Amino acid sequence: MDNLQNVMAGFEVVLEPTNLLYCLVGVLIGMLIGVLPGLGPAATIAILLPLTYGIEPVTAIIMLAGIFYGAQYGGTITSVLLRLPGEASSVVTVLDGHALARQGKAGTALGIAAIGSFVGGTVAIVGLTFLAPVVASFALDFGPPEYAALALLGILLVSTIASGARVKALVAAALGLLLATVGRDAFTGTERFTFGSLDLADGIDFVPVAMGLFGLGEILYNLEERHRAVHAPGKVTNVWPSRSDLRESSGAVTRGSVLGFFLGILPGGGATIASMAAYAAEKKRAKDPSRFGKGAIEGVAGPETANNAAATSSFIPLLTLGIPANATMALMFGALLIQGITPGPQLVDQHPELFWGVVNSMYVGNILLLIMSIPLVGVFVRILRVRAAILAPITALITMIGAYTINNSVFDVLLVVVFGAVGYLMKKFGFEPGPLVLAFVLGSLLEESVRRSLLLFGGDPTGFVTRPISAVLLALFVVVAVWPLVQSARRRRPAQAPTPDREEASV
Amino acid sequence: MRLAHRRAVAGATAAVAALTLAACGGNVAGGTGGTEASSEFPSGPVTLTVGQDAGGSTDLIARALADGMSGDLGVSVPVVNRAGANGAVATQEVAGKPADGSNLVLLNASLITITPLAVSEDEAVSLDDVDVLKGLSQDDYVLVASKKSGFEDLDDLRAASGEVTYGTTGVGTGSQLAQAVLFAQAGIEGTSVPFDSGSPALTAVVGDQVQVATIQLGEAKPQIDAGNVVPLLAFSAERNQFLPDVPTAVEEGYDVPVSQYRALAAPKGLPEDVKARLVESVDAAVAEDAYTSFNENNLLTPHEISGEEVVEEWTALAEKYQDLTAEYDISLAE
Amino acid sequence: MTTAPHPPDPEPAVEPTVEPAVEPEAHDDGPPPAGPLANLGAGLVTLALGVGGVVVSLALGVGTPAQPGSGMWPLVVSVGLVVLSLAQLVVGRAGGDGERFTRHSWMPLVGLATLLGLVALLPVIGFEIPSLLLSLVWMRFLGGESWRTSVVCSLGAVVALYLVFVAALGTNVPHLF
Repeated sequence: MDNLQNVMAGFEVVLEPTNLLYCLVGVLIGMLIGVLPGLGPAATIAILLPLTYGIEPVTAIIMLAGIFYGAQYGGTITSVLLRLPGEASSVVTVLDGHALARQGKAGTALGIAAIGSFVGGTVAIVGLTFLAPVVASFALDFGPPEYAALALLGILLVSTIASGARVKALVAAALGLLLATVGRDAFTGTERFTFGSLDLADGIDFVPVAMGLFGLGEILYNLEERHRAVHAPGKVTNVWPSRSDLRESSGAVTRGSVLGFFLGILPGGGATIASMAAYAAEKKRAKDPSRFGKGAIEGVAGPETANNAAATSSFIPLLTLGIPANATMALMFGALLIQGITPGPQLVDQHPELFWGVVNSMYVGNILLLIMSIPLVGVFVRILRVRAAILAPITALITMIGAYTINNSVFDVLLVVVFGAVGYLMKKFGFEPGPLVLAFVLGSLLEESVRRSLLLFGGDPTGFVTRPISAVLLALFVVVAVWPLVQSARRRRPAQAPTPDREEASV
Repeated sequence: MRLAHRRAVAGATAAVAALTLAACGGNVAGGTGGTEASSEFPSGPVTLTVGQDAGGSTDLIARALADGMSGDLGVSVPVVNRAGANGAVATQEVAGKPADGSNLVLLNASLITITPLAVSEDEAVSLDDVDVLKGLSQDDYVLVASKKSGFEDLDDLRAASGEVTYGTTGVGTGSQLAQAVLFAQAGIEGTSVPFDSGSPALTAVVGDQVQVATIQLGEAKPQIDAGNVVPLLAFSAERNQFLPDVPTAVEEGYDVPVSQYRALAAPKGLPEDVKARLVESVDAAVAEDAYTSFNENNLLTPHEISGEEVVEEWTALAEKYQDLTAEYDISLAE
Repeated sequence: MTTAPHPPDPEPAVEPTVEPAVEPEAHDDGPPPAGPLANLGAGLVTLALGVGGVVVSLALGVGTPAQPGSGMWPLVVSVGLVVLSLAQLVVGRAGGDGERFTRHSWMPLVGLATLLGLVALLPVIGFEIPSLLLSLVWMRFLGGESWRTSVVCSLGAVVALYLVFVAALGTNVPHLF
């Protein structure tokens, strides 16, 4: 078929030495950047955009794509080692990943993350190769009602993910939802909870919240806790997951790939929901859900696979429809425009070597990442051996300066400090930051989608059920919400078994 | 023991190196050689602040311009993104910096002409706060319909009045203004559905989640070319060179010219010679092939008028929009 | 058998791994759990936030369910927060989770103060000096490291930060040098 020829041609393009070199450079830079909190792939690509002026379009995009998924992996590293989620989709990884690191199993966590990411990315690329047009039109059918249903499902999952006191987790989630409303209302232009500050007019960005609550909060907490008991730095005992770890995670990886691939296509937020769904799915499937939050390997494998698959499949709307799915894709869009190439429905026909070159570079990039992570994991894990008293201020400083680079604003740095204090207090009082941050991310999606849907329906909410996709999602929501209740009822039923018989006999 | 020793030496060397870097000069207010003499402009890098996120059209324009200016001025022109409130944050920040030519901002017309209609007085930015150096380009809005809606021209849209949902790129944007005024003038009733930016609005209309939407031409063109959306009309004053077959709103009899313009500005009070030098470098930058082909690729129409003309134009537009919204009783802020 | 006394090696910053086998984390019990008073306090704080949210939302204008105003959603969330806070106040009466403030709790406070100081000084004199001071305070006073280690590591950290953020990446962080 024509396609197969193009795919082969694409590989030829990628394996050209220049492109291969730029792929390696991109992945390496991406990984290093991903390790720096605050400096996300979007900012990095913006900084490196001038570098792309002088080189071929294919080469430029290969490098930028490499930076993108390299940064994903770098973000995983900080999530596991330093409890700092680099992106919304890494928040879930922090839960079990960092717990594993504290048990001295950072290598296991990072290794599984690398393998899972590789598998997820590869599955997504294969899917992209064969299913791109089909899947892209599916993304177009996702309108505001579908997003609303999805966000609702996500909020429900948030409570599943929490491992501590239920009510406190819900309170944290409610706080997260409230925090998401800060800023200018997208529908009426009214300022909500901004108290006149122009900096808050656009709302609060995810990164300062996550960096503050998770990163600084933990650092401040450790300042106190360290002195209570002399904390031996986590003794790093293994650098690679064991065979049993791999076996345990295989199911999670498979499920995560599929979830991530499909959810990643949805413009705006697919990757986060994918990682949450993967985590929740693993937790529900597990025979002993209480392991989650304390170092369950599936809790790292599932989400990491999902978010890498999602990151890869988020290229699909860009390359096939010309619609960027997130901020980084928007930058790639811009980069392509600068090169004189307009991504869109015609890209595949007009520039097949570009399309396939980029797609195939992802295979290569994923392999490079996996190969590089073998020695690098050992290096990164040694960071944990540095004495806490020295590591803490360095981490704090990197976090603060990284926060500045988000939007060149001191206000963001202040936000990080404020949320750091909040994170410390939350920890002292027994509230988990996870539900707050996840609800925060989903909150604006939920509100805006519901309001848009109501506008589309003219105020009539039955529209949610008459549209096929949103009806399915809402049904899923009901199922997921009701399932635990059904399960606990079922567990009680054997004790009542005799009664139905008697009733039947009397009928 | 030796390890610590080596570390100490390394640390000391590093410290010395750091101090020698002091000669490089920092970027803290007052830290730069804030000289009285503008004799040697430019004496350091010229920072161009953009009030939008990286990757958007405003940002790309800034980068293309910075590239060219850097070549002409002989110093680096780094682009700094400072998104917030449609550019209000960046503009206010730069307006507060010393007017010595080392800080510039890329202005969006919509911030001056349209946003004030949707936000409170103290958040609106006025052109009085800055010195406009030069106009750059014009980006037109085009009203597109989804394929499934079956609309081919404005009459079809009018026939569907009452059942129409139209997407906008946000509150206080040209997209919202253009459609609100057009619909009011043409007597079309529809429900406005705001999205966060052009991209989701375009996606929605491609997927027929809304029937029509007004999008910036650069974003919409690939979809138009692919046949996924149908252009109904453009909101420019004259027919757009990239869409020669699409009528303008003015042609159809509706007085609603809405376009996005970009211009370069600096803090108020720039010395005349610095201003002249900067304008010179802009002229050099926009004349270059790289810039002109950039405009073509992004479907931007060059609009390189002088700073005074920009102020005139934008002030007139702001007044016009104020009158239009008052006349048709439209409130952008709902 | 006595060995000639010799000055102890200054501790290297990186501790070598001692044991090859997995060692379960020394399970310290943590500070005593926060008592019912702390839970009450936390519950009251979130309750206050919820009530505040309700007030502001109503002021923003709620609109009708068919035509929601900008205050509708914040109102829904704030009411939810109030309800959940009340539930928490009831459920958490016994206390039992969270932790009590200990006598070391002033350390995070100092840490917080240094961070705020950094934020205040950052736009004025750049990041180098505030970072250096912060690092010194944390390493020496909060971390108990020796002067030499603190100074060396702090300087090294600031230089590294400069090299990464300013020299290599060319970001716009305010810097003096």
